[in-house]
Amino acid sequence: MELQLSLSLPIHSIEGFDPYDHGLINHSGCSEKKKHVKNKRSFEESFGYYLKPLSLLVWSGQPNEEDNHRNEKMNTNIHTSNNEGKEYLVGWPPIKSWRKKELHHQQQHHGQIRMQGIENQSRGSKPLYVKVNMEGVVIGRQINLRLYNSYQTLTDSLISMFVKCQNFEEDGSNYTLTFQTKQGDWMLTGHIPWQSFIGTVRRLAILRNTK
Amino acid sequence: MKRVAYSFPEEVLEHVFSFIESDTDRGSISLVCKSWYEIERWCRRRVFVGNCYAVSPLMVIKRFPKVRSITLKGKPHFADFNLVPEGWGGYVCPWIKAMAVAYPCLQEIRLKRMVITDDCLDLIAKSFKNFTVLVLTSCEGFTTDGLAAIAANCRNLRELDLRESEVDDICGHWLSHFPDSYTSLVSLNISCLASEVNLHGLERLVSRCPNLQTLRLSRAFPLDRLANLLRGAPQLVELGTGAYTTEMQPEVFSNLVTAFSGCKQLKGLSGFWDVLPSYLPAVYPVCSRLTSLNLSYATIQSTDLIKLVGQCESLQRLWVLDYIEDAGLDMLAASCKDLRELRVFPSDPFGLDPNVALTEQGLVSVSEGCPKLHSVLYFCRQMSNAALNTIARNRPNMTRFRLCIIEPRTPDYLTLQPLDAGFGAIVEHCKNLQRLSLSGLLTDRVFEYIGTYGKKLEMLSVAFAGDSDLGLHHVLSGCDNLRKLEIRDCPFGDKALLANAAKLETMRSLWMSSCYVSYGACKLLGQKLPRLNVEVIDERGPPDSRPESSPVEKLYIYRTISGPRSDMPGYVWTMEDDSAYVE
Repeated sequence: MELQLSLSLPIHSIEGFDPYDHGLINHSGCSEKKKHVKNKRSFEESFGYYLKPLSLLVWSGQPNEEDNHRNEKMNTNIHTSNNEGKEYLVGWPPIKSWRKKELHHQQQHHGQIRMQGIENQSRGSKPLYVKVNMEGVVIGRQINLRLYNSYQTLTDSLISMFVKCQNFEEDGSNYTLTFQTKQGDWMLTGHIPWQSFIGTVRRLAILRNTK
Repeated sequence: MKRVAYSFPEEVLEHVFSFIESDTDRGSISLVCKSWYEIERWCRRRVFVGNCYAVSPLMVIKRFPKVRSITLKGKPHFADFNLVPEGWGGYVCPWIKAMAVAYPCLQEIRLKRMVITDDCLDLIAKSFKNFTVLVLTSCEGFTTDGLAAIAANCRNLRELDLRESEVDDICGHWLSHFPDSYTSLVSLNISCLASEVNLHGLERLVSRCPNLQTLRLSRAFPLDRLANLLRGAPQLVELGTGAYTTEMQPEVFSNLVTAFSGCKQLKGLSGFWDVLPSYLPAVYPVCSRLTSLNLSYATIQSTDLIKLVGQCESLQRLWVLDYIEDAGLDMLAASCKDLRELRVFPSDPFGLDPNVALTEQGLVSVSEGCPKLHSVLYFCRQMSNAALNTIARNRPNMTRFRLCIIEPRTPDYLTLQPLDAGFGAIVEHCKNLQRLSLSGLLTDRVFEYIGTYGKKLEMLSVAFAGDSDLGLHHVLSGCDNLRKLEIRDCPFGDKALLANAAKLETMRSLWMSSCYVSYGACKLLGQKLPRLNVEVIDERGPPDSRPESSPVEKLYIYRTISGPRSDMPGYVWTMEDDSAYVE
């Protein structure tokens, strides 16, 4: 049951009140208040239908006319640097810390797998996500490499994934698959065994062969 | 009216009141006359306290002496996003201690964003002899030891729900503290626990509770044990799986298919951590009955999601990652005609470039295809006024609309205009809108629309929006039903706040961080409105060490009938007029 605190007592707006003139309420404001103490509250007042806000300031209709200088103050305390020196906003995008932890858990997961370089653990292989981009396609993808077991299945799947929404040729020979190693070097796929590739790959890029 | 009231004996009125469930209706009843107030307070069994600092435990106990069920909320909502510093407060201990003495028959405790210690859990376990429900939503401060005390002592416990709580996970052994004779469990949610589960203890517990309906496992529960668990509980209605991955073993898959097929009551599925798509067809047998599906931890591609969601024609609620993409939402719109709630979360919220083909178009499709859709949370990277306008016209029945365009201050990507008109259309057409979250490039104009049309709006979240005090003034002076307002990084300051000061007494709370409200204005509000707690949160040190005109870091204002709280940490200052408390 919601506890009704019934705090919305009617308080009439007080004209001409200067917020910085502490505690000085003008005469009419005072007398009006007293009247309400003596008289019983009307139904409307009690239920707040005609609630008028107490103003500690009269609305001038011209907000912030002298406040332009404050604009520089914005953004001062909202940016924080993370470990990599990349700037991000605290609490934005608004994702619950619990959900963020889950995302982080996933990424950590990937790291562990790379470190260990072991495919089969006691509870099966854990997902290994990498980003894939294709030359000339704005939107990249994130894929789980654990779902593939050879360069062939990976290449086929990537080509169909990217080509279906573009008007590109579907023939795999028109594309070259490259990957970035743990050390940050870019290499052509196929030059190292699949298992070593899984152990070192950081991200993938598909290049379109020019004829 | 009076005659009717006097003509019934108290017992009759009490019986009549017992049929009235709604909080607001019970509140209205107690305002009719003194005798109704008295009768109502003696027969009130359930109490909801939206802010644990708005009233003291003793005040609640004094007014409602026979409460059986209490719901308490603690920290401000923005605590979810790490905007409330560690140690802010929201301690439930004073409440539990007071209730342990006053309410020996208390049965249900539901807490949200509160701090609860093991000692408190122990006190609950030992004080309330017929305790049945403990729900801890986004709570912290306790360990599995406290849970062990609950398990060992609460023989009639029906529901134990730890959703999104932060539990110091000492060991999975606490589950074995449920005595062998214990069989009353109806709902168990341990999805937030990280440590290894005591598999044997859990399996035994599940198989001996014939009324178990909801079971949400943690990621640590392995997929190859799921089939066995389900065989012991074919009556389950809601299931949260553990990690949904294992080495590809044909018998694991076939066991799962059999087990899921046996669950004839299953209506909700969640979990699916680390999901391996090849195991998803195991749930296909139950899909057509599902009304609720939470795939928001399932990192699988659009094609796999489409295959799964396409089978769930009765779906009413879908939570999913943006991997579903526009194509998946098109399919959802075409096949799930009963959909009421949709949440689409970002898979890569901190990446600069889009990693999926999810745009405003997906949401437009769902708004067209799903006539019952009324609750939306949608993270995306582009939006247009035209799309928002279409959504508003398609779904005037919308009650909750939360849109997060990931990059702050993003304009309409087609016209490069602010999104004022689009959100304006939402508030204008959705007459029953109760909750709204804004994002994107917005000027004061959007707040004018909100103040003009948002008459039923109860909660509004604003970030990186507006140009001046006028924006806040429109909201505070226009939204008659506003209860919670949270604002971050907006150029709103003293004028709007002071001009609408009394409005704050009608609201539950106002949060403002990184705005322009000065310390002087906070002091003034605290002095003039003694029924408000005006709390300045500033981690840079005491605010009076800076000029009065300098803006405060964070401001949390809430109405209260119990005065300033006594458990503030060093970085919170309450603004009060000392003379107000000298009687």
